[in-house]
Amino acid sequence: MDFAALWLTLRLAVGTTAILLVVALPLAWWIASGRGAARALVQAVVALPLVLPPTVLGFYLLVALGPLSAPGRLLVRVLGHPLAFSFAGLLVGSVIYSLPFAVQPLVSGFAAVDGDYVEASAGLGASPWRTFWSVVLPLTRGSLLTSAVLTFTHTVGEFGVVLMLGGNIPGATQTLSIALYDRVQEFNYAAANRTALVLVAVSLAALLLIYSRRGGLRRGDLV
Amino acid sequence: MSENATHLRAKIRHRLGALVLDVGFELTQPWTVLFGPSGSGKTTVLRAIGGFVRPDAGRIVAGLNQMTLVDTDARVFVPPHERPVRTAGQAARLFPHMTIRRNVSFGAGGDSDPEKRRRLVDEVLELFCLRPLAERMPHDLSGGERQKVLVARAAASAVTEGKNLLLLDEPFNGLDLRVRDELLEELHQWLSRWKTPVLSVTHDVGEAFLLGAEVIKIAEGRVVRQGPVATVLADERARLMEQLAHG
Repeated sequence: MDFAALWLTLRLAVGTTAILLVVALPLAWWIASGRGAARALVQAVVALPLVLPPTVLGFYLLVALGPLSAPGRLLVRVLGHPLAFSFAGLLVGSVIYSLPFAVQPLVSGFAAVDGDYVEASAGLGASPWRTFWSVVLPLTRGSLLTSAVLTFTHTVGEFGVVLMLGGNIPGATQTLSIALYDRVQEFNYAAANRTALVLVAVSLAALLLIYSRRGGLRRGDLV
Repeated sequence: MSENATHLRAKIRHRLGALVLDVGFELTQPWTVLFGPSGSGKTTVLRAIGGFVRPDAGRIVAGLNQMTLVDTDARVFVPPHERPVRTAGQAARLFPHMTIRRNVSFGAGGDSDPEKRRRLVDEVLELFCLRPLAERMPHDLSGGERQKVLVARAAASAVTEGKNLLLLDEPFNGLDLRVRDELLEELHQWLSRWKTPVLSVTHDVGEAFLLGAEVIKIAEGRVVRQGPVATVLADERARLMEQLAHG
């Protein structure tokens, strides 16, 4: 069993999920309550990782974060090493790659919140900030969970971006999905099988968490 | 409350489909009733004061310090939560994830002192006979009970954080008449203790008389008359009496 790869994968998935929740909440709120051309553009850009081959994304990130580009050189100067082929680089790639999985459920969740709740809250003198945290977010906690779980599982299942951007450095950038690929290349099917099983188990457990939840709020919650 | 204090001055012009709303009035009494048939623009007036409708033209000034809430000429529009106004509108909802107590407490949320807040919430729950329901969730309540909580929550909010104008849109709709009459009287007394002025919307003559209030009668988007209930609604009362006599 490849514990180094498992540990790295979990760290990557947890880190990506944490960063994306912070990024996705305001972004999704803005998309759900916005309108106009800017909103359409932002939505399209956010959805881009859904349709692009991961290798395309990985390639551009590799170029952008590597020492051959201006931003990459700046990063080298600040960090002392290039972001590509490092764990931090993987984290950046994963955040971008999983962005739509974090944002989309939240956008639908926010859009489904009845505007009358927001109006009732404002009519009681609550600031938009208080309304968001005390009314909107609790009413969308199902979407929040979906967003977190999808981001987590999607990161666990990443392959193309991680391979392009991280190389395949055991202990530093080798995730479970890449370790599995290596085992198969070595014809070590027994080890490959164990790694694959872990991936199946982690994903299944996460999805069970979503589907076993009793569907949000009950009926008759309206006045 | 000094009888001559002006709680609100409003001039509102707003087009709403076929209806052109064009009203102007001042609120100087503790409780004013906006009276008119459905479709006369009552709710829109209330929503404009609350900040949920942006009038096409007009000026709204509220409170003792004459805060300008809306002035279309000067491009002033204060957002709802910053107005010295609290609303229980027709579409208002109880927050389904909060108990009745927490709903009412949310209204009183501005008060930083938790002990003061708890006492106020208890007092309001008591006033509306909601004590036994305090720990229940909104979906466990009947329609009438939920309606009471909506008004209770807005009332608790109105007496918190300085002086607010309380706006009630058909507050006791769907309530048993006897319950309504008792509640209205208690609420009336309680709010006058807090010196909280009220503007409530109704199309019910009985309700207006019960409050013994100042009435603004509107029809087809215009103010027809403003004054004491006995004067303004004399015709309506006579008609009602006649109906009762012949019914």
